[in-house]
This record gives sequence, C-alpha cells and structure tokens, in this order.
Amino acid sequence: MTELINCVAPDDLSQYKNVMVYLEHREGHLVRGSVEMLGMASKLASKVKEKVVGVALGSDLEPVAQDATQYGCDIFLGAESKDLSDFRSVSYSRIISEYILKEKPNILLVSGTREGRDLVSRIAILTKTGVAADCVELDIQENDRLLVAWRPSFGDKTIDQILCKRHRPQTITSRPGSYPLPEKDTEHKCDVKITKVTLPKEETAHRVLMKKEKTKLDLTSKKIIVSGGLGLGGKDGFKLIGELASVLGGEVGASRPVVDLGWIPYEHQVGQTGQTVRPKLYIAAGISGKIQHIVGMKNSEIIVSINTDPSAEIVKYSDYFINSDLYKAIPRIIESVKTIVPEAGKTAQKSA
Amino acid sequence: MIKQVPDAEEIFIDPVKFTLNRASARGIINPADENALELALQIKDKTGMELVVITMGPPQAETALIECMGRGADRGILITDRVFAAADTYATSLTLAAAVKKIGDFNLVVAGESTTDSGTGHVGPGVAQFLDIDQVTYVTSAYVDKENVHCERDLEDAVEVVETPMPVLLTVLMNSNIPRHSTLRKKIDAIRKGIEKWDHDTLNLPPDWVGLKGSPTIVGALRIPQERKREGKLITLDDIPEMVKELYEKGVIGKEEEL
Ligand SMILES: Cc1cc2nc3c(=O)[nH]c(=O)nc-3n(C[C@H](O)[C@H](O)[C@H](O)COP(=O)(O)OP(=O)(O)OC[C@H]3O[C@@H](n4cnc5c(N)ncnc54)[C@H](O)[C@@H]3O)c2cc1C
Ligand SMILES: Nc1ncnc2c1ncn2[C@@H]1O[C@H](COP(=O)(O)O)[C@@H](O)[C@H]1O
Repeated sequence: MTELINCVAPDDLSQYKNVMVYLEHREGHLVRGSVEMLGMASKLASKVKEKVVGVALGSDLEPVAQDATQYGCDIFLGAESKDLSDFRSVSYSRIISEYILKEKPNILLVSGTREGRDLVSRIAILTKTGVAADCVELDIQENDRLLVAWRPSFGDKTIDQILCKRHRPQTITSRPGSYPLPEKDTEHKCDVKITKVTLPKEETAHRVLMKKEKTKLDLTSKKIIVSGGLGLGGKDGFKLIGELASVLGGEVGASRPVVDLGWIPYEHQVGQTGQTVRPKLYIAAGISGKIQHIVGMKNSEIIVSINTDPSAEIVKYSDYFINSDLYKAIPRIIESVKTIVPEAGKTAQKSA
Repeated sequence: MIKQVPDAEEIFIDPVKFTLNRASARGIINPADENALELALQIKDKTGMELVVITMGPPQAETALIECMGRGADRGILITDRVFAAADTYATSLTLAAAVKKIGDFNLVVAGESTTDSGTGHVGPGVAQFLDIDQVTYVTSAYVDKENVHCERDLEDAVEVVETPMPVLLTVLMNSNIPRHSTLRKKIDAIRKGIEKWDHDTLNLPPDWVGLKGSPTIVGALRIPQERKREGKLITLDDIPEMVKELYEKGVIGKEEEL
C-alpha cells in the first residue's frame, strides 16, 4: 500500500552500493537502450570499484542473462513467471522495487523507452527517490559516490546538472541512442540468479488481450540516414530522398511536420519526439534545423545539409552545407556516388 | 489532469484541413492533454460519468480550465499555491494524487503521455502509484465496458489491446484523436460556475512535502551546451563530386562492411 507521503530520506547512505540496470528485452535479447545502459553502468561501477547488477522480468530469462553477461553485467537478478511475459506496470514496478529495497543499489539506470518511462516513476515512488530523466551525460564522484547527471533544459538552451543528494537509488533515464554501444566481452562472468515468482490474483486482472508487432524501423542502428523536411514541398519528394538513401545503402529519415502531414510514416521521424540517431553520415535536405530536430541528430559523425536559405539554422550544425535547391543537388550527389563509389547501391539491390 | 505549457512556437498542423498554422497564444494546453481531455469527453458522452479537470499551476492556468469546461468538462479545479512551485516528479505526483483523493470516488484518471516543457511522462504513472491503482500508458483509444476499461496502446514495436478493471489511470498518446472545439455558451457557463481553487491546506499537505522542498532531485549547476564545432563548409553544385570523393576516402560512405 502506497501512502500519500513525502520523499523521506534514509539516514545512512553508505549502505547503498552498486549500479543497477533495468534490463528490457524482446525475444531473448536486450533492447538497444538497455545495452547502452549496461555500458554506462560498467563505466560508473568500475570508477568506484562496484558491481553492475542487472534486473530482468519475463517468462524465459536464460538467454537474456547470457546477453547481459556479454555486456558487462556482474550479477543478474531475474524474476520468472508466465504471467510476466505480458508487460504489467503494477507487477513489474512492484517486483523491481522489491529487488531495490533488498539490494540497496546506489544507482539505478533505466532506458527511457516507453516501457522504461512507464515503470520508472512508479519505482521511484515505491522506493522514495527522485528521477533525473533524459540524461545525456553521467559521471560519478569518487569520494561520495554521488551521481552527477546532466540533462538538456526546456528548449535546450542550457544543460542542467541534476543531483539526488539524500535519496537512493540515484535514478536516471536516458533516451535510447544517447550513448554508444559497449563492446561485447564473451569472457565476462556473471552470477545469475533467476527466481520463479507467482503473481497475486488481483494483479492478473490486467490482461493483454492482443499484441500485434509493428514493423518497427530502427533508425538508431543505421550508418547512413538521409532525411527530408518541409523543403521537399510535397510527398513525392521522398522518392528522391529514397533514391539517394538507397545508393548510399542508408535509410530515410524525416522532420516532424512532414510526418504530421502524412508524407511519410512516424517511424522515420528524427528528433525530440522521434528517434535519436548517431549515424556516420546524416544528410538533412530541406530541413531548417530547429532545435527539436537537432537534438535527435547532432551526434552524427558527419552532417551534410541542403538548403536554399543560407541563413538556415542547420548550417551551424553541418560539416558540409550545400546552399542549393535540393531538387538540383540530390541528383548531382546520386550521380557522383554512382561514379565514385564502386559499392554504390549494392545493399539496396540485395534487399530490394 | 491537464497542464498549461508555454507555446513552443510550434507549427501546428490543422488535422482537418491539413494546413499549417503558426499558433501565437502564450499559454496553451499541453498538446497530449488535449487528446487526454478528448478521450475523457468521449467516455463521458457514452457513460454519463462526471468529468472533473484538474491542473496544478499558477493562477493564469485558470484559462486552460475554462477552455476544458467549454469543451464539456463538468468541474475545473486549479491547484495553486506558492509552496507548490518548482516541484519535481515526486512532489508533483504527490500533490495531484492528493487532489484526486480529495475529489473522492473515481473510475478513471486520464493524463497526457508527457508535457512539452521538459516533461518526461513520469507524472501520470507517479500519480497512479500514489493512488495504488493500475495504469495503461500510451493509450490511443479506450472504452468503458461495465467495470473494465479496454484500451489500445502504442509501443515502439507493437500495438497492445489491454483490459483492466477500474479504477485505473490512463496516459494518452499525443495526436491520437482530434480534440473538439469549445462552445461559447459552455465557456460562459463555466465562467459563471467558476473554477475551484485548492491550496496545500485544502489538500492537507504540509508545505515541506511539496514544491521545491518536497523534491528529492535538485538542479545543481547550469552549463551552456558544448557543441562540437562544425565547419559548415559551403558547397556549390559543382563541388559535389569533390565532397563525395572526400566522404568516400574518409570511409564515411561506400566501404563494403558499412553497407
Ligand atoms: C514539443 C515539440 C516536439 C517536436 N519534436 C520534433 C521532432 O521530433 N522532430 C522534428 O523534426 N521536429 C520536431 N518539432 C518541430 C520543430 O520545432 C520544427 O517545426 C521542425 O523540425 C521543422 O521542420 P522542417 O525543418 O522540415 O520545416 P521548416 O522549418 O519549415 O524548414 C524547411 C526548410 O526547407 C528549406 N527549403 C525550402 N525549399 C527548399 C528546396 N527546394 N531545397 C532546399 N531547401 C528548401 C527552407 O529554407 C527551410 O529551411 C517539435 C516541436 C515541438 C514543439
Ligand atoms: N502541473 C500539472 N497539473 C496537472 N497535470 C499535470 C501536471 N504536470 C503533469 N501533468 C499530467 O501528467 C502528464 C505527464 O506530464 P510530464 O510527466 O510532466 O511529462 C501530463 O500530460 C498531464 O496530464
């Protein structure tokens, strides 16, 4: 029973140790965001000589534990039940909180996926702590093991440092795509503890009647992305964008207004309310460079933009700025790629 | 639960005409909360449940409540008090949950998926936890069937249909429906009826449980983002082959293992 009560702080913070990660998974594999979090957890934990503790729930956790081990998990805690194969906020947050209250981690990292966001504030209230959401940078102070988290402020004008000094675990989320993926280490050892659990009857009244997979496009794993914005002038512009993407062996991205207008499905949207990407090459065609778009692509290795307006904001985020009509520039790029790059279009043909 | 947020100079797409408008109002109802209200109104239309709209915010948030009542909500409650200022998720959820408890008997609490002013989608689930009720997040449509609510929810890689007994809290996905307009008559009725105002005393919440004091997280320091400097090298149409060559030689494009 949760009481309506303030966030009472524990007296003794020294008993809180280790970095816990909530491990979200699909079909036996961790989702990308959880892998990123394991990578981050290893960094933080090694700095203060602590362990990485992974927590996962589901109906078959053995493969999940293996995946987590390769990415640096030292202790794997799993709660298994056939009733946990469906996502249930109440049961999930309760069980994770029970692990937290028992293990007393100093830090809890949760990937900011829809599932992660659904759970994290319930967990924070059950364990009486605060959450710093959508962090882009994390560090731990060696002396007092305080987590120093940074998150962009509203409008991204500043980056704010968020501290949770008196409450534990220090809990944060980060959007998937915020950190690079860690290397796999097939030699890593992990203490795997999987427990069978039974859910109380009242919790199983929440029933998932149907689950339909969507063909989800994962832009975060793409090496090359070519995005189009309102400058395309119409839906047909995406044919040209698609053509360039395919000779480069890349994927198509988009700004939000063109998604809202129905020129292209949401799964292609890059930005604050879309996906956060970090490809080797990002080409932005007819995109002005508003901050909500920039936050989703500014960590790309090379950024090329095409815009008729020489004062467009996108210029200052670009390595190369093609100041021209995209309908003139893109065919020229396609042509050049075809003559210069021997591998041009190969993958596109293979997958077509 | 709705929140008034600053207008982020957004381009709004008129969902009926598919045209662009640049909205200019200073305070707007948080976009996802408009969809939350619409879903709640649809449920009210079908079931005849009473619909109460609450917001925690400064006195000027009253206009947002009048607008909601103009669309069909029965009561508007403004939770306002200086001591509520600068609340983080914990303190905000605590305050809103206290208000819901005070309203008393309820079947559904409907919130938006997240707010546009640095919001994160944490407040809805936080309230659900304080109320000790189930939740369904990222809902796109819902209907009430006897003691259960049926929801369709949208996840990154799947769509789920969920059934769960009430009381339950729903968070509604932005753009999941087309919000109705308010009518002038209902708005006038709303102004006549008035907005109820509650402070920490009304809610029986000690001042140091709420607002900044009741918040476990603090903002330590600010810093201007250190953006990686990019050259912004100006390229003409005739320079394109040269640029492509550079990208190829640097291994950005074309290397077999990357394709
Ligand atoms: C809460 C919130 C969340 C948001 N989330 C996102 C998000 O996730 N992703 C996102 O993208 N936006 C998001 N936005 C919207 C964002 O603020 C901008 O409105 C949007 O990014 C602008 O899209 P655009 O660049 O395609 O259009 P515009 O800003 O209209 O820019 C079009 C550009 O095309 C150029 N152009 C026109 N014709 C041509 C041509 N023939 N050749 C070359 N260039 C041409 C113009 O010079 C102009 O610079 C969000 C906004 C809010 C308030
Ligand atoms: N101050 C507030 N008053 C009323 N409802 C709120 C408030 N803050 C957040 N909410 C509700 O919680 C949802 C999620 O907000 P957030 O966690 O800030 O993204 C919003 O869409 C609202 O429905």
